[in-house]
This record gives sequence, C-alpha cells and structure tokens, in this order.
Amino acid sequence: MPATDTRPRAARVVAIRPCEDASGAASDEGGFILRLRPEGDPAWIASLEPGRFFMVRRQDGASPAIPRPFSLYRVAGDCLEFMVQSLGAGTQALAACREDTPLLLTGPAGSGWPEFSVGSEPWVFLAGGIGSAPFLMALERALPPHAAASPRAPGPWLIYGAASAARLYERRAFADTGAPVLCATDDGSHGFHGNVLELLALEQEAGRIPARVRLAACGPQPMLRAVAALAEKEQLPCWLSLETYMGCGVGICNGCAVPTRPGGALGDWPWAKCCVDGPVFDSTAIVV
Amino acid sequence: MSRLVTKLPPLTLSNPIMSASGTFGHGLEMGAIVPPERLGALVSKTVTLEPRPGNPMPRVWETEAGFLNSIGLENRGLEAYMEDVLPTVAAAARAGTAIVTNIGGHTPQEFVQLAQALGERPEIAALEVNLSCPNVQGGKLPFATDPAAARDILAALANVTDKPLWAKLSPNVARIDEMALAVEEGGAAAITACNTLLGMAVDWRTRRPRLALVRGGYSGLGVRPVALRCAYDCARAVSIPVIGCGGISSAEHVLEFIVAGCTAVQVGSASFSDPGLLGRLAAEVEDLLEREDCPDLAELCGSLTEGAPCA
Ligand SMILES: Cc1cc2nc3c(=O)[nH]c(=O)nc-3n(C[C@H](O)[C@H](O)[C@H](O)COP(=O)(O)OP(=O)(O)OC[C@H]3O[C@@H](n4cnc5c(N)ncnc54)[C@H](O)[C@@H]3O)c2cc1C
Ligand SMILES: Cc1cc2nc3c(=O)[nH]c(=O)nc-3n(C[C@H](O)[C@H](O)[C@H](O)COP(=O)(O)O)c2cc1C
Ligand code: FES
Repeated sequence: MPATDTRPRAARVVAIRPCEDASGAASDEGGFILRLRPEGDPAWIASLEPGRFFMVRRQDGASPAIPRPFSLYRVAGDCLEFMVQSLGAGTQALAACREDTPLLLTGPAGSGWPEFSVGSEPWVFLAGGIGSAPFLMALERALPPHAAASPRAPGPWLIYGAASAARLYERRAFADTGAPVLCATDDGSHGFHGNVLELLALEQEAGRIPARVRLAACGPQPMLRAVAALAEKEQLPCWLSLETYMGCGVGICNGCAVPTRPGGALGDWPWAKCCVDGPVFDSTAIVV
Repeated sequence: MSRLVTKLPPLTLSNPIMSASGTFGHGLEMGAIVPPERLGALVSKTVTLEPRPGNPMPRVWETEAGFLNSIGLENRGLEAYMEDVLPTVAAAARAGTAIVTNIGGHTPQEFVQLAQALGERPEIAALEVNLSCPNVQGGKLPFATDPAAARDILAALANVTDKPLWAKLSPNVARIDEMALAVEEGGAAAITACNTLLGMAVDWRTRRPRLALVRGGYSGLGVRPVALRCAYDCARAVSIPVIGCGGISSAEHVLEFIVAGCTAVQVGSASFSDPGLLGRLAAEVEDLLEREDCPDLAELCGSLTEGAPCA
C-alpha cells in the first residue's frame, strides 16, 4: 500500500545544471541537478523526510511512459531537487529538460531513513556514486542542532565513494552541511584510493570513527552486499536504500520485489516491495 | 453519470471503467490516489488456491511502446485473500463499486475450489476467470488456447457458483472468436479481451534477457491495436458482453473499444504511467461524450460501421 501522503502532481522544471565534480567545477560525466516546482499548495513540501523518493516523468511526450524513481536530494523553498545520473532513455529525457518542461511527479513514496535521533551509537553514512543523493538531507537531519552544543554522540560521517573525482558529485554541498565528508575514489583521483568500506576500516583503526556505529548505505548492489555482510559480521545496526527496477512506485505492479530473509522482520513472505516497504530496509530483514 | 451506466447482466455498474487484474493491487491500495467509488468495478489480482511466491527478478521491463512483465502471479493465496483482503474491499462495494475477484489455477479442480469458496462471499459481484496468464507453467497457455478445455472450465464453474463468470482470454491464439464462442457456451456472463501478449526483450551487449524468465506478458500502448481487434472479434462472435482491455490510457481509447463492440473496459499498465488516471477516466469519458454530443454508451456500443474509412 502506498504511503498515505503519496500523490501524483504536475510539476515544472525550474532549473537544470550539471553536477559539480569534487573540485567544484561542472562535471561532464552525465550527472545533473534537476530543480522543479510542484503545482498547487506547497505546504506538504516542508515536512518531507530524507530517504523518500519520487517517480518522475516528462509530460510532453519526450519520456518513456513509465516514470523513473529518484531519491529526494534537497528541498529548496517550494522546489524539490533531484540528483540524477544519465543512463538510459528515462534519465536522458530528464537530462534534456528545459526550464518550464512539464513533469509528472508521484510521491513522496516509500519509507525514509529511520529516525536518526533515536539511539546513541553514531551514524556512518556510506554513499556509492549517485547513491549519495538521499544523504544530503539525511546529514542535515542527523547533525546535532547547532544551538545546543550538547555532549551527544559525534557523527554523522559521510563516507562518499565514486569511480573518480569527476563522479564525486556535489561533494562541496555535502561538506557544507558541516558533517565530516570522507571521500574515496576507485582510481585514486580524489581522496582515499579504494572503496568506502576500506576507508571506514582505516578510520576505525585510527580511532577517528568508533567501532560501534550505525550504518546507512546507498549505492551499487555489490557495495550494499558488502555493507550488509560487514553489519552482520560486526553486529552493527544497518539500513540500506535499494535501487530496484520499478514499474509503478506505488505498490500495484509487484515489479520491485526484494527477497526477504526467512525469520526476519519481513519474513512472513518471500518478497518485500521496494517501493512501499522500502526503499530503505533494515539489512537484517532482506537478502541483498 | 447516468449516461455512463453500464449493464453487465446481472450487474449494473455506475460506469464502464475497471482496473485490470494485477495492475491495481487488490484495488484499495490506491485509495488515497484513486477513490474506489470512481470505478465501475475493481478487479483483484489473480488469486490462486495456494500462496504463490511469483517469479525471480527482474520482473518488469519497459520497451519503446509497451511494458513487459513476468510477475508470475505472486499472491498470498485464497485463504489470505478471504481473511485479509475481502473484508477491506467490502467498504468499496458498499460505495457502489463492484468487486470482481480474478481467479487462476493449474487444473480445473483448482478453479472449481476457488469458485466454491469465493462464491459464498457476498462482497464479490463477479469472478473473472484468468484462463490466460502466460507467466506460469513456463509460458504454456494451458486453458487459453484450447476451446474445449476453456468451455469445460466455465461449465464446471457455472455448476458450483451463481456468481457471474467473466472469462479472460489470451490474445495469443489464432482464432480468438472460437475461444469466445467456447466460453459463452460454457456459461460465461462476459468476456474480458484480453490478457497480455507473449513477448521478450534482450540486452545483446550482455547477452542477457531483460526479464529473469526471458518471456513475459506485453501490455501497454503498443498492444492496443491487437487488443482492439481481439475485442472486436469476440464481440462479433458472441452475444454476451465484452470487456475490452489492452493499452487503454485515455477517454478516446475507451470510446474506441466501446464503438468496436465492448460494453466496458479495463485499464492496466496506464496506471503505472499515471497512477491517478483511473480516478479521472470516467469523468473524462463523460465530458468527451458531452462535448461531442454523443448518445449514451449503450448506444455507442458496437456502432462501428464497416466500409471505407471516412475522409
Ligand atoms: C528508490 C530509488 C531511488 C533512486 N534514486 C536515484 C537518484 O537519486 N538518482 C539517480 O540518478 N538514480 C536513482 N535511482 C536509479 C534510477 O531510477 C535509474 O537509474 C533509472 O530508472 C534508469 O532509467 P533509464 O531509463 O535512464 O535507464 P534504463 O534504460 O532503464 O537503463 C539503462 C541502463 O541502466 C541499468 N539500470 C537501470 N535501472 C537500474 C537500476 N535500478 N539498478 C541497476 N541498473 C539499472 C539498465 O540495466 C540499463 O543497462 C533510484 C532508484 C530507486 C529504486
Ligand atoms: C504487472 C502486470 C501484472 C498483471 N497481472 C495479472 C494477473 O494477475 N491476472 C490477470 O488476469 N492479468 C494480469 N495482467 C494483465 C492485465 O490485467 C491486462 O490484461 C494487460 O496488462 C493488458 O492491459 P493494459 O495494456 O491496459 O495493461 C497483468 C499485467 C501487468 C502489466
Ligand atoms: S514498483 Fe510497482 S509494486 Fe513496487
């Protein structure tokens, strides 16, 4: 069943620009930021939770018929922003949007990240490539309020990995939240030369990140699989945001099935629906 | 909406718009987006006797003009449907929307057991008999291609339940009119034409199929001409009502099917492109009839005049 606040809405593109690379220059790797304004009363926008997603499609006939899912990247006044990697027909059509291109936007869909303030262990967010999108608002939400400099647990940390410096999209925006952002690249062109889990291990060995943390991760499936394995081995609480294919985004097509773990929280049925039971799952409830 | 009133004897629906099986959950999931009372009927996903986990992922793939799926009838089975789903849909039924339960089985006995159990339930207005799901039994179409087998199933069901039986046919046959005649003879109250076409898609670069089980059901805009022809062939062959289904996504499309001989229509994949569509469609059909100064739907039904196309 879709969340009670999921709605289809008309929207218009306000602005579109290439993502910044690690140095702040425009990246030419196909990542872009799409800013759009939903039509109608914007009251619902202020209460949007990080980690939820929207199905997006162009309404001028230039998109495939089926909308594509994208995590909410940022809220800017009465506008929403998405960070998108151009891949196939759906994302290429969005990349070709102009100011005022009409869109159909269905959401907010799915569950968001868990409530960050509950519990005491610090958070480590692990982002792989475009999987960083749902973490900007998460960082803002999970940071301790500036006013009350309480001796609460440190964190959150964002460990942000990508193929190269050119794909460390919007690194500066993440750093601007005030959270520590540690970068890793596969080719060593920026930050640590290696992957996010290697970097996490290094930081933990050096005592800069505690051993007992809670993990939240979004990125390519092999990365999520490795994160889930680490969480299981170390018995760390862990949430994963999955990117499955989606036919509808609202729970009516059964196209987004995620295998559940027998005996886990969703184990009464072999599949969960990524679009309504997720996209964020407790890693002990599913098989990645 | 009196001009939309739709007669599917013994039922009278407020309008001719229905959700297509498997594309709208069990119907109420979408309540916040599509108020159920806007629909003439809500058709459930296929319910099977035993729970069915369904097929491996990936299960869906979009092509240039349509949508491939291989869900494999994932559902929690008859018992869960009767306990968990039916009580909740009763509210919609009270609001005037007919609840239609779509059933599927591997054997005639399974169909009969389903009809016996569901036939007892007052919430259900009709049973839609899925003779044609191509995603089970390795793409074989057990009852969908054999007129005698289909007729026998309908006859067996008519024997055990008083509920109106709608036979949902497959387009993957050479002569759908023969199938239509067979299910009419077996006792069907209506025909749904049609289910998905068998199709597939591949990624030649990786040498991989797009769907885990290779073949899937093809639906959406691209199948509309085929579905329209199937519905037309059925309507010309039988005297029971035909419910058109396949690629319908606008009021214009609805009226195409009505003119070709359908009494009502079902909308499937279009809800994926536009989840709010089913909540607007009946009103859009009514507006269109009004704007074009058209008679009631019943008068438009089957009004297609053969001969040279008009200039
Ligand atoms: C909840 C959720 C949130 C998402 N958030 C974002 C986001 O914030 N930014 C973003 O850029 N993307 C995000 N995605 C992924 C995005 O939806 C897909 O990249 C997009 O649907 C691809 O559509 P397309 O038509 O461009 O590509 P297609 O033509 O569908 O595919 C192009 C190529 O990419 C591969 N591919 C497509 N989709 C996926 C997938 N989901 N997993 C693995 N491979 C795939 C295909 O196999 C194909 O080779 C998210 C997905 C989900 C489920
Ligand atoms: C994802 C999906 C699941 C479906 N599941 C069922 C099903 O369980 N039972 C059934 O009779 N038809 C099922 N169908 C077929 C539809 O009910 C419909 O006949 C077909 O999709 C053609 O209509 P459309 O082009 O409007 O989608 C399914 C179709 C899709 C796309
Ligand atoms: S995408 Fe359709 S059920 Fe999840």
